[in-house]
Amino acid sequence: MKELKFSKGLLASVLLSAGALAACSSGDEGSTAEGGGEQVTVDIFQFKVEFKDQFEDVVAQYEEENPDVNIEITTVGGGEDYGAALRSRFASGNEPAIFNIGGPQDVADWKDNLTDLSDTGAADAALEGTLDGVTVESEVLGLPYNQEGYGFIYNTRLFEEAGIDAASITDYASLEEAVKTLDSKKDELGLESVFALPGKETWVTGLHLSNTFLAPEFDNNVLTAYDADTVEFEYGEGFKKILDLQNEYSKQPTVSLDYSQQVEELFSLERVAIIQQGNWVYGSIAGIDQELADSGVGMMPIPVEGLEDGGLPVGVPMYWGVNSNQDEEVVTAAKDFLDWLYTSDTGKTAVLEDFKFIPAYEGYDTSKITDPMSKAIYDASEAGETIGWVFMGYPTGWGEDELGASIQKYLSDEASWDEVVDSAKAAWETSRGE
Amino acid sequence: MRTRDLSYWLFLAPVLLALALVVVVPMLLGLFYSFTAWNGIQTGEFVGFQNYLNLFKDERFLDSLWFTTKFSVVSVILINFIGLSLALIVTSKIKTSSLLRTTFFMPNLIGGLILGFIWQFIFLKVFASVGEAVGMESLQAWLSTTETGFWGLVILMSWQMAGYIMVIYIAYLEGLPKELIEAAEIDGASTPQRFRYIIFPLVAPAFTVSMFLTLSNTFKLYDQNLSLTAGGPYNSTEMVAMEIFKTAFVQNAFAYAQAKAIIFFIIVAVISLVQVYINKRREVEM
Repeated sequence: MKELKFSKGLLASVLLSAGALAACSSGDEGSTAEGGGEQVTVDIFQFKVEFKDQFEDVVAQYEEENPDVNIEITTVGGGEDYGAALRSRFASGNEPAIFNIGGPQDVADWKDNLTDLSDTGAADAALEGTLDGVTVESEVLGLPYNQEGYGFIYNTRLFEEAGIDAASITDYASLEEAVKTLDSKKDELGLESVFALPGKETWVTGLHLSNTFLAPEFDNNVLTAYDADTVEFEYGEGFKKILDLQNEYSKQPTVSLDYSQQVEELFSLERVAIIQQGNWVYGSIAGIDQELADSGVGMMPIPVEGLEDGGLPVGVPMYWGVNSNQDEEVVTAAKDFLDWLYTSDTGKTAVLEDFKFIPAYEGYDTSKITDPMSKAIYDASEAGETIGWVFMGYPTGWGEDELGASIQKYLSDEASWDEVVDSAKAAWETSRGE
Repeated sequence: MRTRDLSYWLFLAPVLLALALVVVVPMLLGLFYSFTAWNGIQTGEFVGFQNYLNLFKDERFLDSLWFTTKFSVVSVILINFIGLSLALIVTSKIKTSSLLRTTFFMPNLIGGLILGFIWQFIFLKVFASVGEAVGMESLQAWLSTTETGFWGLVILMSWQMAGYIMVIYIAYLEGLPKELIEAAEIDGASTPQRFRYIIFPLVAPAFTVSMFLTLSNTFKLYDQNLSLTAGGPYNSTEMVAMEIFKTAFVQNAFAYAQAKAIIFFIIVAVISLVQVYINKRREVEM
């Protein structure tokens, strides 16, 4: 009798809760009705927080021109969080129509959910090489956001006062020479140190710095890196030298120095002369010292010892993918929107002037690129003096979690350089072997 | 036997449902995923106990487990010691007792992430400038070595949780029968003796509760760990929760991370239960 009562009660509670749930779920239906039922809703799930507001403005413009399309944007910033959030969006069944993918690994992971975009105008207009990372068997599975590049960003005023010509820095020896000059004039220039090496940020050392020295090994091609079973560190000696140089002449301790200290506190306030960063720091510097950001900085390549034709590493940070599991009309609307964004006149203006992107597409009026770092990158890109971004082809987690972490160990004298290289090589092989 | 009629279940239903949805179902799903090659998108094939076998050879996981254990032991002792001391102070006859109670409890109201960033500033900036002013080398470069990172975490955690634990002790201390203590006083027991033989055994139930809370909290610590050291330098201050998160979202090994989480759950459950069992036996009936 007791048991019967228990099960009856349980049944009652389940039924009651089910009723309560059903009451909750009825709220969803209202949203599609507004546009008279004809409207197509395109959900965009994207990662770039920096241009969120500008992007929303452009989308509003597009919606005005195309009243039958409704675009919903969700922005989740920060690389790591984005991947997690995207996975949970898919897991919950609330799949976005447009989402971001990073490179070959993401393409392999998401392959079943990606539409072939090779018939879009944007794919045609994409600059050579920018589609390498997302092309599988002649299917273009993503469209590049923009181009970004990095190198040594330096303070032109300090260089001038120290009597250094940045153009003369072409190899390691001349760089070291310049650094020593700056170091000897630290007091009169008001410098705390020459460099600020953010050892805490494993992406700065493990991805960006390592990329400079691993790119030539993989022919500057992200897919070569992605397919490689081993890594050799052919230019490892130069890698070590540049790391040592940055560390020796940096504000200490480098292991706990982070990005914001490096860029905002030290470089923007002109307490250090050189930092290894990319054009994305423009906003941060401009937020503190607009003049410095607009006319006081320059960018030069990180010299690779043993390599003559170096350059600025330029690449595509993220791609737009279109979800193939959506209804036909949603997929079409999504493609049309991306096409419009990168190939229409309104879109192009927005990309260049509002987003302040370095375009990854042909047909842009690039004289409108104003900030000196983006300009340096665009010029290098035009002159063909660039090296590729191969770190998108590293085994998952290898760059930051393996190499970056071992570099921290090296910087705190807990490991020798050889140990760093050996463990990184071993980790690469294990990852690829699986 | 109490009667459990419809209204009993009616009131219980929302809780049961919530518990099932956010605890039981994910737990079972997680258990299932831990036997597959799930990558967060596709479930992948069934791999049996492979994930579990791998994790016992995973040095990084074992290191983080060891680090977490060390951290928990030190923190549990410190937090309870500080908590009990604070409770004794504010229940003694000092004038500002209620102000002190509020002050000591305050850190607990601040979220873990923010606390982490505040303490990061203290360790990196304040410590450095104090060290520079008084010429103490050891105050420089905090959080950039494993040791300072460890103690940084311990300090942060003790600072945050001691006030909370204090409240639990206060509740028990104030419930102590005054006659017993008075009688002891009349019998000539000194203050340490009174504490050792009267107060301490009588607040033993508070130990059970607060040990359980501190143990499970320190073992599961994530946000303070993330904001203070982010596992650095070289992942040496990475606690288990963070290691599991990284396995899943950085290395994209979701099923493997799930297996680690299951093992972690078992470890925390076993330790907590054993601890409660042992402490329960020590409690004295009044």
